[in-house]
Amino acid sequence: MTLYEKIKQLKPELTDEDFAPSTGTIVLQNDSDGKGDYIREWNHPTITQPTNAELNGVS
Amino acid sequence: MSTVKTKKVQLGTDATASNNFTIYQPATPDGTLRIGVGNADSPTEVAQVTSSGLSVTGNLSVTGNIPVQNTGPAFSAYAGSGNVSISSNTWTKVALNSEEFDTNNNFDSTTNYRFTPTVAGYYQISGLIGTEGSGATTRTLAMIRKNGGEFKFGDDLSGNTHTGSNVGVNALIYMNGSTDYLELWIYMTGTSTHYNGTLQRTYFQGTLARAV
Repeated sequence: MTLYEKIKQLKPELTDEDFAPSTGTIVLQNDSDGKGDYIREWNHPTITQPTNAELNGVS
Repeated sequence: MSTVKTKKVQLGTDATASNNFTIYQPATPDGTLRIGVGNADSPTEVAQVTSSGLSVTGNLSVTGNIPVQNTGPAFSAYAGSGNVSISSNTWTKVALNSEEFDTNNNFDSTTNYRFTPTVAGYYQISGLIGTEGSGATTRTLAMIRKNGGEFKFGDDLSGNTHTGSNVGVNALIYMNGSTDYLELWIYMTGTSTHYNGTLQRTYFQGTLARAV
């Protein structure tokens, strides 16, 4: 399961628009360095960023 | 055959000094030959010749062709790993792990997949990413990042239900020749999103267009 899918499972009210380039408030990123996806920016006005524990708890 | 040794030779004897020319060595020799307009007693320098070449003070007008040897950095890198899966809705750096050419060893194809030119100037940069999804991909973007930040967006295919497309980005970018670097990034939404890692479909290229 990707980071995006985990976030969507934890925060189902989020839409693709929230992640959209330039206009979205959340930026997910992968530097292709073997460390995987991560949250680069989370600026959503109402929905809080999930914790690592919450993300790790999603299977 | 005789040899003439002198420091100045005036060509022309017109009463108007600007109609004459002087080839001369400076008062304190510095390895240069000077060409000037005017009489030998006070020529106005217009060109210098040294062991490394010709330097013109004013404009250079050429009627014919000048073959130019551009030795600035040029590179062409590509993703050579077959299909590379990426996460939907996630900006992903394209892993350009193979090189077609890299004339100045300025492209890192092993760790950071970035171009860091060591010559300052304006670079013409282009990239293309061949993308595919086993299901519909609804948005696909290409972008050049400079020093890690969003810099130039390219093709942005939205609202489509295609399973594959090529997205490109082109830009003329100033690079400081020391710390500035460029990377190629991709963003996709859809199912089983991936880009095609072949020389033909996913590549990043650039060349020095004008040095500073």
